[in-house]
Amino acid sequence: MNPFIFTGLAVGFAFGFALQRGRFCMNSAFRDIILMKDYTLLKAVGVAILVEMIGFELLSLTGVINLNPKPFMWGANMFGGFIFGIGMVLAGGCASGITYRFGEGMVGAMSAVGGFIFAGLMTSMGILKPVAGFFQNTRITQPGGVNLTLANVLHVPHYVLTFSIAGVALILWAIFTKKVQAAGKDRDVSLGTKIFKKGWGWTATGIVIGLIGILAFYASSSAGRNYPLGITGGYLSIMKSLLLGKNFLTWESMEIISTIIGAFIAALIAGEFKLRAPAPRVLIQTFFGGCLMGFGAVCQMGCNIGHILSGVPQLALSSILGGTFIILGCWLAAYLLFIRVKP
Amino acid sequence: MAEIKPDKTLDVRGEICPYPDVKTKKTLKKMEKGQILEVLTDYPLSVERIPRTAEKEKHKVLSVEKIKGPEHRILIEVKGGEG
Repeated sequence: MNPFIFTGLAVGFAFGFALQRGRFCMNSAFRDIILMKDYTLLKAVGVAILVEMIGFELLSLTGVINLNPKPFMWGANMFGGFIFGIGMVLAGGCASGITYRFGEGMVGAMSAVGGFIFAGLMTSMGILKPVAGFFQNTRITQPGGVNLTLANVLHVPHYVLTFSIAGVALILWAIFTKKVQAAGKDRDVSLGTKIFKKGWGWTATGIVIGLIGILAFYASSSAGRNYPLGITGGYLSIMKSLLLGKNFLTWESMEIISTIIGAFIAALIAGEFKLRAPAPRVLIQTFFGGCLMGFGAVCQMGCNIGHILSGVPQLALSSILGGTFIILGCWLAAYLLFIRVKP
Repeated sequence: MAEIKPDKTLDVRGEICPYPDVKTKKTLKKMEKGQILEVLTDYPLSVERIPRTAEKEKHKVLSVEKIKGPEHRILIEVKGGEG
């Protein structure tokens, strides 16, 4: 076993801590665009992607890491993404959302994680494997088997496209921030209180998670796993090791265990930890939602973290398409569940 | 602040995302102007998001108060503020 896999413990801890403090959940981020017209978490996601985009590109240009976009399989990215998006609405959280809420003591999230692992394993090595295989059989690459990115499809150097997109985003952000600051409303609280007791604002959340993502890419590639933050592979490798009695542990396994612990500690310090459960019917719903997420994530080889947080900043076409379909699935389920029906 | 008596209490403790928010929104819609809703929730994201979205809908958030652990009590006056 590569000793560097244990750096996953440190990175995972920081990730879990930041997820809990920033309430970083893409289900809320995307769903609230149509449900609450609230864009707070969406902005945090945007900032995190922006920070990572710049960081990954700099590490890649200096030869510290090699970018590793996931394979483009349009069938799996569309179908898996869509199913994942529907699933996370039922589960009440994306892969990172249910993970940090597991640490907060929310039993609904634990049940969702259970479903996620259960169906994820069925899809990676069980009865659903041929179904995923059917959709994965739509892979398109560049000549020579190079995975598609927005840059190589458009025949633009990767760094040129990255820095152009990042530049435009930064300018828009600067314009936007000016407007908000005019409204100004900063309260006087100590830094310690801000970090440990109160929820973080979207800017801080986005920057911190982006920086953790960059660190993750470096640490994980040193351990022989050339990819930034992930969730699905971590859970599945642990469960596979437990079930089959062999060592499948990777850097990501360490990361995910520690993510839950980091979220737990963050919640404990903030006084936000409590074992709490919704009605039994909702527990079944979150388990089922978790199952859909598990299938979707394995089918398209990545959850919202693997694709949207870690793949989109690399301009991976698979992640851009898969991410888009996660959002579409999320919107459809949110519409059917919360907007159309009036209880 | 003098003790405010809520006209209605919504207990959404234990509920998952986004039920606390959705139920608050729907309850507020059914109440009359000037009435006060008390929301009890233990979901940290909703403790921050409910006041944010309620204010956007022109309700007046009177207080957000910690009870115990993650449990919070939010008081909202329906379309309040202008007397």
